[in-house]
Amino acid sequence: MTGYNNSDAPEESAASCLRVAGVAVGYGDAPIVRDVSLDVLDGALTVLVGPNGSGKSTLMKAMARVLPVRSGEIRLDGRPIGAMPTREVAKRLALLPQGPIAPEGLRVRELVAQGRYPHQSLLRQWSRRDAEAVEAAMQAADVIGFADRPVSELSGGQRQRCWIAMVLAQETDILLLDEPTTFLDLKVQVDLMRLLRRIAKEDGRTLVVVLHELNVAAAFADHLVMMKEGRILAEGHVERVFTAANLREVFGLEANVLRDPASGRPVCMPVVTSDADVMSRIAAQ
Amino acid sequence: MSAGLLIRLDGPVTYALPVHALTVLAVLLGLTCTLVVASLMAGSYPLEATEVVMTLAGRAPSDMAQTVVWQFRFPRALAALAAGALLALSGATLQNVTRNPLADPSLVGVSQGAGLAVVAAMVAWPELPQAMRPVLAFGGALAVAALIQGIAMRRSGGATMRFILTGIGVAAFVSALTSAFLTYGQIDRALSALGWLAGSVHAAGWGEVAVLGGALLCLAPALVMASRPMAAMRMGPEMAVGLGLRVGRTRMALITLSVALAAAAVAMVGPIGFVGLVAPHLAHRLARCGVGLHLALSAATGALLVGAADLAGRLAFAPVQIPAGLVTALIGVPLFVWLLLRTQARASL
Amino acid sequence: MTASSFRPARRPGFAPLLALVVLALAFAWHVSVGARTIPLPVVAEALLSYDASVFEHVVIVDLRLPRALLAAMVGAALAVSGALMQGVTRNPLADPGILGLLIGASFAVVLVVGVFDLAAPALIPLVAALGAVIAAMAVWGIAAAAPGGAMPLTLVLSGAAVTAFLAALVTIANLLDEQSFEQLRVWMTGSLAGAQGGVMLWALPWLCCGLVVALAIARQVTALAMGEETATGLGLNVGRVKALALFAVVALTAATVAMAGPMGFVGLVVPHVVRLFAGQDYRQIVPWSALAGAGYLLVVDVAARMVLAPVEISTGLVTALLGAPIFVWLVRARL
Repeated sequence: MTGYNNSDAPEESAASCLRVAGVAVGYGDAPIVRDVSLDVLDGALTVLVGPNGSGKSTLMKAMARVLPVRSGEIRLDGRPIGAMPTREVAKRLALLPQGPIAPEGLRVRELVAQGRYPHQSLLRQWSRRDAEAVEAAMQAADVIGFADRPVSELSGGQRQRCWIAMVLAQETDILLLDEPTTFLDLKVQVDLMRLLRRIAKEDGRTLVVVLHELNVAAAFADHLVMMKEGRILAEGHVERVFTAANLREVFGLEANVLRDPASGRPVCMPVVTSDADVMSRIAAQ
Repeated sequence: MSAGLLIRLDGPVTYALPVHALTVLAVLLGLTCTLVVASLMAGSYPLEATEVVMTLAGRAPSDMAQTVVWQFRFPRALAALAAGALLALSGATLQNVTRNPLADPSLVGVSQGAGLAVVAAMVAWPELPQAMRPVLAFGGALAVAALIQGIAMRRSGGATMRFILTGIGVAAFVSALTSAFLTYGQIDRALSALGWLAGSVHAAGWGEVAVLGGALLCLAPALVMASRPMAAMRMGPEMAVGLGLRVGRTRMALITLSVALAAAAVAMVGPIGFVGLVAPHLAHRLARCGVGLHLALSAATGALLVGAADLAGRLAFAPVQIPAGLVTALIGVPLFVWLLLRTQARASL
Repeated sequence: MTASSFRPARRPGFAPLLALVVLALAFAWHVSVGARTIPLPVVAEALLSYDASVFEHVVIVDLRLPRALLAAMVGAALAVSGALMQGVTRNPLADPGILGLLIGASFAVVLVVGVFDLAAPALIPLVAALGAVIAAMAVWGIAAAAPGGAMPLTLVLSGAAVTAFLAALVTIANLLDEQSFEQLRVWMTGSLAGAQGGVMLWALPWLCCGLVVALAIARQVTALAMGEETATGLGLNVGRVKALALFAVVALTAATVAMAGPMGFVGLVVPHVVRLFAGQDYRQIVPWSALAGAGYLLVVDVAARMVLAPVEISTGLVTALLGAPIFVWLVRARL
């Protein structure tokens, strides 16, 4: 087994700035997230997976204080997130929601610059610090090559990198990304996840990402959280959580979990009915 | 990166303003002055440019020139400019908040609400002092805006198109009510109300200018403070929360601001349509800049639009005066159609 | 498998008969109610054994009967044209007012009567039809050229734009000719009062044509309402159906505007109510809309006349006051 081993993964009992405790979130009468507790590990890439309607996006929105919690609490640096001034939270935690739409005609550089909002004020509209942060963010996300082009002219993958640059420019320790790879080609997804993993490792930032694609999640996550029907059914190190039993229970998926010899990471192969089974079923009719 | 920017990166006050946009703003202001002079020159009593300048400087060549300029044309021109600026600012604010390029205070019933309040007052209680009009207009506009907001909002991510369509329906209702007042009021009051309702600057005097100017001055600080939140709002409600904006509160405040701006204009000169829609888009096309500078450019563009519309309305079929509101409709609709033709009907708020 | 196995089960002929009775009652009520209520037996008398010396009889036959007939015809025409438009454009918000036909027709009439001073009764419906068809094509053209095509939302916005433009032109025309202002002020809100006999007579053929064509293409409109590609797959000549529908709608609208000025929202509201009971088959919807529209406008006209008696509110204002909230509700419920 080369490349990947347990010592790369952060300790389970490591520090956690963002803590979710006994949280329920919902609209109207129906709770979508029921009783979720999660300590987000600092400096790690945590991935949330789950079937549609499992509450992953809702949980992320609650963590980003976009949605209020019905019960339980979410603490950032030990303080309840709802009690903190929202601007202060924005300097600690950044959110990239699902399917963001840029205002018409915006150039890449201008989009990334929007991320500096919490650091600016009426009198301090654009400082040296802002300029430096934007340049650094564009470098890190590798969008500096088309910094002066309109966002609408870019491909899906390039656009997503611009949005990631924007949240990077916010200069927060914690980044929450809601389905940043949905609708993108596999190669593009992989490139984006590589970028996110690099951000987590090189800068020591904490990332929480909601993903739809299981194998991509398994390939990149340090910490994997599986949700179903508003609850966390399994969480922990990818090795421990990504098992056939969990896949069956959470997703209703019959799959074999194999190990990639090159990276050592787990990967799942859905069980496919063999031709022989189909023929025998037809013959039995 | 500093090319073409008026920039200051260090110290307690920092900014980066694109020079091109600043130049365009200066040009627009220059054009506005030219338009004012032209408005003062043209009319049933034509004046030379030199005569106009002398009259403005206090040395009128004749009593007639003095009267014509200071009592009729100058306040009227200023009122047109101020109303245009207010409406353009209202439209720009609304477009930023609703993230919809087709938003306009007259399209969503706000102007009609203000109109109904004032027409009802003019026809039913003509003794009401003119000073009450802005208050009534604001009340009417706010009531209609609240009504539309209440009806169109749905928690499942309200569609902005639904907001606009609801506005059209409510506007039709309010227009019918207004028509009722006009049709069944006494003919002379109805005629003067109709003139006002078409969006007319021609009766504007220094009283109107004072109110419009006052509104601009009072609301300007609010706009300055609003420009940064507006920039964040453009990114969408969730992203705006992520950037540290109190979205609910900001949204309410900005919509109220937009309504107040439109109501002030409508109260004094009647509803003038399409300026709020078209001026911000023209401003976008003229120069690329941040939200704050764009507001200034929109205001200047709006002022020019209404000023020019008023002048055209005055001269085109002289001696009959066509209200500026009708001219802006004739100019504005093709521009609106052009916008329709290139904007994907987005259904997101 | 025979053709007959596809025919829907025939319901007992109760409903149409009932509807006709209700309509007749509404008609009678409309005729009897007024500045002075005339009891129904006298109304019957006036219709069956007319006596020119009896004042009530004269009032009924010379004033109220024409107005009631007008209300019924205009209501039926508007409702049917609204139903057709909703079916062909697959847009629940379509209506001759919203899509600019009414204002187009009005503008043409104002232009010809006010500006060119041609008031021949024969000309008016023709001019109205021309105005309506040009406006309709402009609205449709703009919406179709927009990205996303003629979606319901785009169509309504396009209609709003064209309406605003033409309305501004109409107001300018009125301002340039103050005399016609007084004359047209009431007509422009949609009024059933003062319809001249001459115009009614000339508008009638347009009305009948429109209704006949509407009934004839009803079956094809049902197919079209399922989607153009589906309809073409079923062997429908989509272009021809649309052209015929346009003709019917324009004819009906022209007749309405010629007689009563622009009266909005009837074409929007009535077909939706009819659909609640009659389903999605336009062979049912069209005739039922005609009946329901006639009844609706008769009742609305009574309200317009009586609510603020002795002052009479324009019927068009009342249809707007009733119809606009329903439009708003539709937007909320269907989009």
